[in-house]
Amino acid sequence: MNKESQGGIIIVVSILVSIILMLIPLPDSIRLLRPEWVVLALIYWTMATPRQVSVGYAWAVGLIMDLIMGGALGVFAFCYALIIYIVSVVHLRLRQYPIWQQTVSIFSLMLLMQLLLLLITPRTIDWSFGLPVISSTLIWPLNYVFLRSLRRTFHVS
Amino acid sequence: MFFLDTRFNSFIAVRSNLSVVVYPIQAAASLPTDIAEWFNDFFEERHQLQEKNAALEAANLLNSQRLQKFQNLERENMRLRELLGSSFRLRDRVKVAEILMVDLDPFSQQVLINKGEKNGIFIGQAVLDATGVMGQVVSTSAFSSHVVLLTNSNHAIPIQINRNGLRAIVKGRGLGELLEVDYLPHNADIRKGDLLVTSGLGGRFPIGYPVGTVESLNYPQGKAFVEVRVKSAAHTATSREVLLVLNTKMISADNSDPVNKSEASANE
Repeated sequence: MNKESQGGIIIVVSILVSIILMLIPLPDSIRLLRPEWVVLALIYWTMATPRQVSVGYAWAVGLIMDLIMGGALGVFAFCYALIIYIVSVVHLRLRQYPIWQQTVSIFSLMLLMQLLLLLITPRTIDWSFGLPVISSTLIWPLNYVFLRSLRRTFHVS
Repeated sequence: MFFLDTRFNSFIAVRSNLSVVVYPIQAAASLPTDIAEWFNDFFEERHQLQEKNAALEAANLLNSQRLQKFQNLERENMRLRELLGSSFRLRDRVKVAEILMVDLDPFSQQVLINKGEKNGIFIGQAVLDATGVMGQVVSTSAFSSHVVLLTNSNHAIPIQINRNGLRAIVKGRGLGELLEVDYLPHNADIRKGDLLVTSGLGGRFPIGYPVGTVESLNYPQGKAFVEVRVKSAAHTATSREVLLVLNTKMISADNSDPVNKSEASANE
């Protein structure tokens, strides 16, 4: 029980850090390239510990993001929940994949999410919506290795 | 849920209460920049400070000279208006707030400021910076509020051309710093370099603050309206402090509503 609660704390902390990474100001030139840190963290924890993090968790985190970003409530919550639902269905398969194959799956998930955001929120449509997809995909292996070492150090399961 | 949130106002209270919870996260995210800035201030070189001081003094001198003239004009304006029998409020009361260095969704053109309901900020309040109109408050919580900028593609502001008083509407484009003017026919009297100021129609923005200058005009064949590009007067990307206008309606409500006033003072 004690170990489990400790694991929960690690997950919460990593997600808080990812939210802060989403908010830290970047120069205008690379601003659109910001990876979707929060989704990446959520995807990892869903893959690794599907019993702790799943759709409800993702929905709550998404709601927090909505509040922070100041958009309509529920946009991020819906997108995160949908992505995490897909991940939780295929998490066993995802775990078996080598990293490059995982990265390809992440690419399609990210593309799906950006397209959803494009559909739901009233924003001007241009090619720059694809930038976070690319940056998130490229950052995934790094994110994966880092979170895995975190999980192993603190024995989160 | 987002349908409900965008179509109805039922979530305003929920949102403002929940926003209080996330404020610490936002404050934490803005911390690194704040610290960097503090260090910058602290270790600023002596000669840099002197240069800055000299520049500011020069600017101050210029401004105070202009102000003398302005005061004179203000008097004259008041006198003339008295003669005409119409009342006019020249000064708006403002409140200063600071922009939190937090990056929000790059597609939504919003900023976060460090004043909220506790400081008397309300939804729809006009936000200015040192050079012009910046936007308006869209949501508030106890300690912070979201401000939507003029550049947001869902934002429109009633303006008039300072040169001839022609009224129009300026809309954001969602991209970059440029704005556009809607629904001006080809024969409208508008030129490159015209200053656009708020018209005060609609009662949301106070009258007479600069919105932008006309950057380019395009008369497309076969279309009813001119394409006007406007460069916004406010430095939306660089300003750190903003001014929040307590609009005239609110001030008069303060003065003329003794019941509310006594309640407010009883609360304090």
